[in-house]
Amino acid sequence: METIISVKNLVNRFGSQVVHDGLCLDIRRDEILGVVGGSGSGKSVLMRSILGLQKPNSGTITVLGQKIEYHKPGPSRCWGVLFQAGALLSGLTVQQNVELPIALYSNMPVETRHELASLKLLMTGLSLSVADKYPSELSGGMRKRVSLARALALEPKILFLDEPTAGLDPIAATEFDRLITYLHDNLDLTIMMITHDVDSLLGISDRIAVLVDGGVVVGTVEEVLESDHPWIRSYFGVPRAQRARQAASKGSQ
Amino acid sequence: MNNAFLSIENLPDRLVVNVKGHWVFDEVLALEDAVATVLPEPGQAVSFLCVGLEEIDIAGAWVLYDRTQQLSHLGIKTELTGFKAAHLKFLQHIIDAAAIREYQEPDSEPVHPRHLQVAFETLGKHTAALIEDLGTIARSILEGVYRPSLFMVGETIKQVYYTGVQAIPVVVVITFLIGIVTVHQAAGQLEKFGATVLVVDLVSISITREMGVLLAAIMVAGRSGSAFAAALGVMKLNEEVDAMWVLGLNPNQMLVIPRILGLVIALPILTVFADAAGIAGGALIAVGTMGISGLQFVERVAYSTDLTDFYVGLSKAPVFALLIAMIGTLRGMQVKSSAEELGLKTTMAVVQSIFMIIAADALFATLFTRMGI
Repeated sequence: METIISVKNLVNRFGSQVVHDGLCLDIRRDEILGVVGGSGSGKSVLMRSILGLQKPNSGTITVLGQKIEYHKPGPSRCWGVLFQAGALLSGLTVQQNVELPIALYSNMPVETRHELASLKLLMTGLSLSVADKYPSELSGGMRKRVSLARALALEPKILFLDEPTAGLDPIAATEFDRLITYLHDNLDLTIMMITHDVDSLLGISDRIAVLVDGGVVVGTVEEVLESDHPWIRSYFGVPRAQRARQAASKGSQ
Repeated sequence: MNNAFLSIENLPDRLVVNVKGHWVFDEVLALEDAVATVLPEPGQAVSFLCVGLEEIDIAGAWVLYDRTQQLSHLGIKTELTGFKAAHLKFLQHIIDAAAIREYQEPDSEPVHPRHLQVAFETLGKHTAALIEDLGTIARSILEGVYRPSLFMVGETIKQVYYTGVQAIPVVVVITFLIGIVTVHQAAGQLEKFGATVLVVDLVSISITREMGVLLAAIMVAGRSGSAFAAALGVMKLNEEVDAMWVLGLNPNQMLVIPRILGLVIALPILTVFADAAGIAGGALIAVGTMGISGLQFVERVAYSTDLTDFYVGLSKAPVFALLIAMIGTLRGMQVKSSAEELGLKTTMAVVQSIFMIIAADALFATLFTRMGI
């Protein structure tokens, strides 16, 4: 399996608090890696480190063979990020938000750019009637879809999702999970997904990475469930996780 | 016609277009040029043979699909064949998306806006909103006066500190410098009449009546008017203001009144500092370079300027403070949705409060002259 993202001996400290202590993680081509962990276990810090938004105390990160450095241009053409609250630019319309990366990275004519952006909006399940609205006029779920459309605008190879289903109702969350699976199956995407939603974690991840004790336990759903680490046991032992497991195993049969 | 993306075979009844190479996002411009060369004769069909295709993505698939659609519109039969399964799915996306798009209801008839009507409607809406906001704030001020809370007292003191005490250094420095400038400018003119000593009258009267309070107010409008608008705007965006309403607190009372009260207390104090610094600046130049002795300067100030001049200046301070604080907080509270709007409202707060200060000052000048003060 080809490794797309490789994190080696990552150390992140904030004052005396050690978040990552020599964390190593490989993300493989075409997988959906679900990342979980308690509050403050450094899920977001890990993602921010990979994206070059956070300066780690030590460790090396390579994405698609390129070494990531803090606030240096990374392989921006090859990755798309769905931030937790969408992070759409509030001064631009939906259409302009999606067109922006295309305009930045290509010199294609306006009509083509426009068409491609509309296409991405349609692909993420949005109707084109939202195209001329501003982000503040959209609901949270729609904002996430627009943000996903923007993340997909440059045909990325890697997609980062920060709690994609947080703040969505169960129906919208399930739809969003389906959308991600659909895009993953059809666009040759490698996806790293931070989530608290056990349903979507067990439902769509190929592998799971659990951040515990400054390190990471990574494996398929079954492998991680076998682990006898107390936090992992309690995480997957709570009733809602149990139900999600049953649902996931029913679904796969 | 041959290039890196397609080669065309011209058969009598159809064009066979061999699609090949990398049909990807980065090549869209070249791809569009390439497909534009697919120009069948009348009666010819076009078949795109995609066996040689090495790589395709959504953008590339769209260019291909778009060309087939364009040709179909011209009544030319097209077909896409020879796709590998891995490539077909990209095309399928486009076809799916196009299908969704066709289902969408056509836009309703475009309405031609009547510009004048729209302009008046907007003006009306804005005025109504302004009146409503002012009314709400006025009502909560009244409530606040009837039911003052300890929290408000603490907040007010904090605001006096932020808007007044912390502004003292900068206000002192600028009025001091303006005092210097005034003396320099006046001395040149008054020297011609041999009345150099009158610069003292000029600087002390102009600083106490006008310049001191005006400069302090403009400085405060820039410092605190913007701070009010930005702070309240961010609170609105973070739903802090909503949280207050839900908790049964009146944000107008908790946030707006302390700021208004704080500034009404702070600005007169700043004015006193400004007056003193302005006259001191004048004294520095008059005594230092114009041969007027220190005693003479003090005497002249006491003779020309009486307390009325000082009070005239000081009496304007609370009014200016009220204008700055009202405009700043009102603009902040008007922020509803976006960061962009926050910037806009903050700008409006500063520009409008400075404008209102100067307009009010002109009114005061006329009023005081008429009253003979």
